[in-house]
Amino acid sequence: MNKFLLIGGLVAATSLSTAASADMLDDIISSGTLRCAITLDFPPMGMRDENNEPAGFDVDYCNDLADALGVTAEIVDTPFPERIPALMSGRVDVGVASTSDTLERAKTVGMSIPYYAFENAVVGNEDAAMESWEDMKGKTIGATAGTYEAIWIEGQIEEWGEGELRPYQTQADVFLALSQGQIDATVSTVEVAEANVNSGNFPGLVIVDKAPMVPDYVALFTMRQEYGLLNYLDLFVNQQVRTGRYAELYAKWIGEGEPADLTIQNVYR
Amino acid sequence: MFSYTFQWNQALARLPQMLEGALVTMQVAIMSMVLGILIAIILTGFRLSGNKFLNAVAVTWIEIARNTPALFQIYMAHFGVASFGIHFSPFMSLLIGITFNNAGYLSENFRGALKAIPETQTRSARSLGMPPIMAFRTVVLPQMLRISFLPMTNQMVWAVLMTSLGVTVSMNADLYGVTQDLNALTFRTFELFAIAGVIFYIIVKVINLGARLIAARLFRY
Amino acid sequence: MFDTSISVNDLLFLAQGAWITILVTAISVFLGTLLGIFFGVLRYQVGPWWAAPITFVLDIFRSIPLLIQLVLVNAFVGIVLRLQISGFTVACGVLTFYTAAYCAEIVRGGIEAVPATTRRAARSLGLNWFQDMRYIVAPLATRVALPSWIGLALGVMKDSALVYVVQVTELLKSTQILITRLQEPLLLLTIGGLFYFVISFPIARLGGYLEKRWSND
Repeated sequence: MNKFLLIGGLVAATSLSTAASADMLDDIISSGTLRCAITLDFPPMGMRDENNEPAGFDVDYCNDLADALGVTAEIVDTPFPERIPALMSGRVDVGVASTSDTLERAKTVGMSIPYYAFENAVVGNEDAAMESWEDMKGKTIGATAGTYEAIWIEGQIEEWGEGELRPYQTQADVFLALSQGQIDATVSTVEVAEANVNSGNFPGLVIVDKAPMVPDYVALFTMRQEYGLLNYLDLFVNQQVRTGRYAELYAKWIGEGEPADLTIQNVYR
Repeated sequence: MFSYTFQWNQALARLPQMLEGALVTMQVAIMSMVLGILIAIILTGFRLSGNKFLNAVAVTWIEIARNTPALFQIYMAHFGVASFGIHFSPFMSLLIGITFNNAGYLSENFRGALKAIPETQTRSARSLGMPPIMAFRTVVLPQMLRISFLPMTNQMVWAVLMTSLGVTVSMNADLYGVTQDLNALTFRTFELFAIAGVIFYIIVKVINLGARLIAARLFRY
Repeated sequence: MFDTSISVNDLLFLAQGAWITILVTAISVFLGTLLGIFFGVLRYQVGPWWAAPITFVLDIFRSIPLLIQLVLVNAFVGIVLRLQISGFTVACGVLTFYTAAYCAEIVRGGIEAVPATTRRAARSLGLNWFQDMRYIVAPLATRVALPSWIGLALGVMKDSALVYVVQVTELLKSTQILITRLQEPLLLLTIGGLFYFVISFPIARLGGYLEKRWSND
């Protein structure tokens, strides 16, 4: 008797789970909410306003996406190292978290076409008296653990054979350590560097130089098998640029100048 | 049943790096324990000294160590004291944070142990002509350490577990830090942390076993 | 020092984090204690040999860092089983077993401290096992165990600072969020630390007082 119940339950559970995994795009539309993983520790892309509410480029981008889908957006504050685990565990539907589209990550999640591209800058403490990015050699350099920059710095340090990388848990901790003089320099996106240096919160910081890295293309991401949703995301990014919304958000959060070019010459996607 | 594919070989390939991290973890734990015991003895001395100021120092230390999270103490050792222009490396910050915590808890244990040692012993030692410090060192201290041996073992285990908090001060050489770095590279979260968990478990078992052997040797009479 | 940009809003934000800390602690300590008493009594009743599996499982919770327990359970529930369980539930679940693991030890110690002769006397007066546990063992064992239990409850409150890894914004995480925006680490950390201290210190003192009072008679 019990055995039959158990088998019946298992069959019911399996059929339920097949029904639920129809298509993520449908699921989002029918649920009425789009849950975005956003790192609120990464101004001006993601941050908190005076009321400690989410704000920034990525937050607006997620809201636009939710509008396009006809649903409401739910912002899930996700630190950098937690972005992919948050998606994999089904806590969020889409990552709008300035995520570099590395091949290593694409083994685990599906990436859209790039929706933004960062240039990276070397930010130093005045006392470290640095002239160019090469002066980082032998210095103590901080970065946010698990980011594109951190991986690049680690490679440089290995090449130089001297120096030390300190991977902090959050971007804020990196700048805090830098302004306290615990580290000599950090590499971060130009946007973040300018926002932090101009905020006046960190006296004694200077933007030293551009870091000689390939522009850091960042993409939206979701489960890699969800082609329906991935197609939608690609078209959405394209539409954001086409309608001028991309330039508008750039002007709102980053400021003057031209938003980064999202196409790459001489190659298809 | 699971839609998830485990990739144990990817994680196991990193085992040598993780074992190196385990050595650093042990190093921090042992150093913090040795320093913690020394400081705890001094703090206990302060409390017995009858000097109001020294007593206040000891009580403040002990109460802060016992009534705030260890994570807070380690974070303070790095970012807090840096506000005064004092900079510690991640290793030092972690070591200082754990030592601070160890010393607080151990000192409280020592005080409890002292209650079990009759006052008459100190008095007889003094009547034999020993100066107070010598009476403490040769008569009271050995007994105190013996009575607190079990709490000390527990504290050692906690010290090992506490090293995992070093990531908040950018420590990446210890077992937890190494695991987190590898996780950022490969995203095999479950596999990597499961292996780290097993290594921690083995370390703790070895400490417990070692403590039992030491106890059997030292306290056989 | 007093020139600060912390607003009333920010203090409310901190209070919200503090509330989460208290909530997580209260739920975990309550459920963990019930489970701990159950496991502790069970272990004592069935003897060390039969209790070995339980002892082994509970021992794991005391032998690997809480941070790893949280990351592992979170990854297992979410990534492997793909269950939609909130970080808050994961945090409470892990802390409940963490509490139960230590509590079972305390309970066992408490029961063992009750003299066997007292219990035999109770049974010979005609009390059954349950009555013996309820009227003889429980009151005596509580006296022995309560001070350690208070220490455990406070320990869980302090350790709950680690649940930030499963995206629960408790007190210490709220403090860090404000540090990100306001850049006043020392002041904010002091406020955060003070909060833990204000709750923990009086209760710890109470525990010490009870211990002293009850050990005298």
